[in-house]
Amino acid sequence: MKKPGVCVLRADGINCDEETYHAFENAGAECAMVHINQLRRGEKKLSGYQILALPGGFSYGDDVHSGKILAVELISFLKEQLMEFVNKGKLIIGICNGFQVLARTGLLPYRRLGEIKTTLMVNSSNHFECRWVNLLVESTRCVFTRGMAGRVISVQVANGGGKFYTTPDTLQDIEDQGLVVFRYAGNDGSPTLSYPANPNGSLNAIAGICDSTGRIMGMMPHPERCVGKTQHPNWRRLPDDISLCCREIFNNAVEYARQM
Amino acid sequence: MIQEVLVMTKDGIPDNKGDEVLYEIRQALGINSVEKVRTAKVFRFEGIDEDAAYFLAVRLLAEEIFQSFRVNGAVINDAAFVIEVAYRPGVMNPEAASLMKSASDLGVDGLIAADSSWQYGFYGEKITGADIERIVNNLLVNATVEYVVKEKPETLVIQGNPGRTEIVPIRGMNDQQLIELSRDKLFLNLEEMKVIQNYFSSLGRDPTDCEIEIIAQTWSEHCGHKTFKARLIVDGKEKKPLLKRLRDATEESKHPLVLSAFVDNSGVMDFYDGMAICGKVETHNSPSAIEPYGGAMTGSGGVFRDIVGTGLGAKVIASTDMFCFAPPDLPAEEIPPGCLHPHYLLRRAIAGIRDYGNRIGIPTNNGSLHFHRDFRAKPTVIAGSYGILPAAACQKGQPKPGDRVIAMGGRTGRDGIHGATFSSGEMTDRTIDVNASAVQIGHPIEEKRMFDAILTARDEGLIRAITDCGAGGFASAVGEMGAETGARIALDLAPLKYPGLSPWEILLSESQERMVLSVAPEHVERLFEICRDNNVEITVLGEFTSDGHFSATYEGREVMNLDMSFLHGGLPQRVLNAAWKRPSLDAHQIETPADWPGLYKKVMGHLNICSKDPIVRMYDHGVQGTCALPPFTGVHGDGPNDAAIITPILGMPYGMVIAHGLNPVLNLIDPYYGSIWAAAEAVSNAVACGANPAEITLIDNFIWPFPDEEQLGALDMAVDACVDFVRATGMPFISGKDSLSSTYRGKDGTVIRIPPVLCVSAFGRIPDAAKTVSADFKATGSHIVLFGYRDTKEMAGSVYCQIHGALGSNLPRINPDNLMRVLKTLYRAVGSGKLQACHDISEGGLAVALAEMCFGGDTGAVINIPEDEDAVNFLFNETAGCFLAEVSAGLNPAAIFGDIPCRIIGVTSTDKSITVKQSEEELFTLELGELKTAWQQPMKEVFR
Repeated sequence: MKKPGVCVLRADGINCDEETYHAFENAGAECAMVHINQLRRGEKKLSGYQILALPGGFSYGDDVHSGKILAVELISFLKEQLMEFVNKGKLIIGICNGFQVLARTGLLPYRRLGEIKTTLMVNSSNHFECRWVNLLVESTRCVFTRGMAGRVISVQVANGGGKFYTTPDTLQDIEDQGLVVFRYAGNDGSPTLSYPANPNGSLNAIAGICDSTGRIMGMMPHPERCVGKTQHPNWRRLPDDISLCCREIFNNAVEYARQM
Repeated sequence: MIQEVLVMTKDGIPDNKGDEVLYEIRQALGINSVEKVRTAKVFRFEGIDEDAAYFLAVRLLAEEIFQSFRVNGAVINDAAFVIEVAYRPGVMNPEAASLMKSASDLGVDGLIAADSSWQYGFYGEKITGADIERIVNNLLVNATVEYVVKEKPETLVIQGNPGRTEIVPIRGMNDQQLIELSRDKLFLNLEEMKVIQNYFSSLGRDPTDCEIEIIAQTWSEHCGHKTFKARLIVDGKEKKPLLKRLRDATEESKHPLVLSAFVDNSGVMDFYDGMAICGKVETHNSPSAIEPYGGAMTGSGGVFRDIVGTGLGAKVIASTDMFCFAPPDLPAEEIPPGCLHPHYLLRRAIAGIRDYGNRIGIPTNNGSLHFHRDFRAKPTVIAGSYGILPAAACQKGQPKPGDRVIAMGGRTGRDGIHGATFSSGEMTDRTIDVNASAVQIGHPIEEKRMFDAILTARDEGLIRAITDCGAGGFASAVGEMGAETGARIALDLAPLKYPGLSPWEILLSESQERMVLSVAPEHVERLFEICRDNNVEITVLGEFTSDGHFSATYEGREVMNLDMSFLHGGLPQRVLNAAWKRPSLDAHQIETPADWPGLYKKVMGHLNICSKDPIVRMYDHGVQGTCALPPFTGVHGDGPNDAAIITPILGMPYGMVIAHGLNPVLNLIDPYYGSIWAAAEAVSNAVACGANPAEITLIDNFIWPFPDEEQLGALDMAVDACVDFVRATGMPFISGKDSLSSTYRGKDGTVIRIPPVLCVSAFGRIPDAAKTVSADFKATGSHIVLFGYRDTKEMAGSVYCQIHGALGSNLPRINPDNLMRVLKTLYRAVGSGKLQACHDISEGGLAVALAEMCFGGDTGAVINIPEDEDAVNFLFNETAGCFLAEVSAGLNPAAIFGDIPCRIIGVTSTDKSITVKQSEEELFTLELGELKTAWQQPMKEVFR
């Protein structure tokens, strides 16, 4: 069976590309590192892949706003390719900086390029936060979290600007439509607004959202950092299935892409 | 005309940046008149009209969801004071290039230049001008890189005409004139100046400024290591030079895993599957003393380039940081003139490490903080870095005549001019004024894309040799690479950040994010393609020759032509006297405390011991997905570990361990045993997690006061300790660095010396990271076993003694032979899986190690002090190389630890408290939560 192809997008300052590549390969995909220059010059095309992964990092130094410069570049030069990719029902995942880019292109939450409806602001603490948090997986149509609803997973956040923020109307709408995929949770597994369990000060404890098809997802925490046994900080004291729970996100994506 | 766009957070939405500034105004400055701070980002554009600026504001600069903006109009209108802070012209604002790029992506034509800065609005009726002045000078503006914008600039373009190359009439100078020439600029002594004078007399000409500058730079203490290479007369007898002693010891150890020691930008040891790992640790004390943010940033950036500049190019996989400061609550009046307050230094240096490491995507997962009042003279800022590369590419490359001299990465500016020579000078009250140009702001994204390009080029076999363009710039990089061959470069070909640099400035500039490569002519075209693909600038500066000369031209005229042999071999060997005098220190007094819990909490809350969690959480230690033992683990993620373990090849079990040790205070008592302690601590930290002592290599960093006879005597003892340690344990030093200028001299005659620092870093390989252990207790009802050699009366230098105001003189005298036996046994014990947890005993002693293990496991403990031990000594002795381990109750420790001294001292308990008994009589019980609060509080107060 042919392995689904993943385009791991690189650009100046992207720095979680290798672990994202590894997480998808680990799940059975065939990955390619693709620099945005190669897409702009037409040397590579998004149509050659089933999954587009926007990794974490500090694209263009996160200058002006996190992910902003890359988002502008994508909208300016790859609008048609991106819309074609989306319209063909392919998958897009943005992790951390990738989520910031998806929000700032407008692909999340409404698949409308150039219309920014949600944003990731500088953390309430006003500084970078690197810590392991609990995420409650909501019941959604998100492809990436199939079979995971109701579970609480442990995953690392590492960002300076992960505070999910939007207008009251949009917030209501994405809640009504069930687009919230992950929420920061306390030790009891329920969503929390309190620091540091909610490390960014995100509205409604939102850590990740998807679009209405469930095929585009963005999340601030880094599931690609926890697909192997020794990657969880407490692997020495926890059963294996806890430290491997992030694998399912990638497995789900690859499984779905295989059916395309 | 300049178009201005001002952007601010909408009313009603928290202004985080403003809130943070307000917090610091109150906490750090104690000013209460300010009620609110609001901030606005200022963007300036040259070459476009107002409509275009409005377009950029909407599409790029302001996000409507939470921000509002105005074009060419104020947004903070109702504040009592509004202050704008910007980078000084010439200090490159990394954001400017992104503004230019994005404007171009959006189709905005005609933009010539862009810049950004911040406005601060201060609210409160009682704010005085004096308050604002303090806020500006002590919090918002570091005058070496920033300034207060008083009026809108007329242009953003930096203009300037290059200066001419001057001839320095050195041949006709008398001694006084030679000394004048050297002072504040060259930092050479009279003998060295005379050698230069004689060289040019023999050539029959005077030198150019380029020539004088490059000699001073190459001969600086920073680059030339004159003290470490000097003939040393110790107490009247000549001993081998310090550097030779260290290198001979390494050679004699014949360690089978060492692939490259002391010859390259980092030391390299074998790893697995044809890969090698390398390590380098650097100091950046002098720049950090005057601009800690930029200093720490460029310290990180520089040591990362050392890794990439190893062999034919390595990938950077880890970063470490070790700092020594004066206590952050030191009264301002105790800070010597020309020095910055430690509270500011600490916060800003950590922000620098954070912003460089996080942005470039290198995990910072090991480090420490040490405090002593005398670091107010000059902080110690140490940054380490580690890498991985194919073993086949791990040997230092050698240019061939005809190879191109290639500069890659960032442009050259007037940054860090005289950095190498400046780092070799002492701090004085003139330091900040004279050497302001020695600091710059780092640009991690520039460095990241350059690294990406280099690793691609390495894999394609395009690189013959590579080195970092660090201290001394092109002069140092090209001069060292071409030392055996010769090199000729054209300085006017170097891409500049702005016009106006003189040829010598281009030669000496220490602008960051640059590397120099030697590339065969047939590979140049492909290398240019790789660089284009990664948005990296690349330039052919010249070529390596076979004439043994280092020459440079500017616009066709020769501005430098020196014999490589004089440049690298002309420096006269110094003859230095060393004699250490044992200080007369009072014996420490140990008294049975009236308040055990109070004492315990005081020790846990000591600055050297307290939790550094707020700092660790600002460093990305998980990026690259390699972390197998993070800084903190345990039930609540707050139990500290001894070392970092990473698995640098994703999907493979191979581990790399990284640890370090230092204890400056012990060196004040006895530099020999203080240094043994540092090395013992470094390797104990590594082995506590499961590393094999036979597969560990070491890195030394000596950060010393100016080496007068006394300090040189101390240095001599420290080096002897290192050598003895290598001989006893077989673990060799494979890289190292010295920085011997941490003395402060005030105008009034004040002299302050830092406590001498030897930082020993240890790194090694572990075949299976899944067979390693963390420090957090895993279960209740387990036995707690103490093992290792210690004489608990050796309390001098301990935190207990420091708290009681006396250093003492009877310090831990660790026997490295015994240590090695402990480590071998410990390694076998961890490998057998019989230890559930293990923690090294270090600063604060057994009591601290025990508490930290309890925090991690969220368990309590009940321990019993042997009858024949003094309770204080037992709990607070700090002999490194002793450990606490968690062992299942059914196991006999003697069966695990053999003839190593060991004993069960207690059990872990469900009751979340620590109970200490002696002869079954309870000395005290203390709630774990109370102890943890005392331990976590100090850094929470410094970092919000």
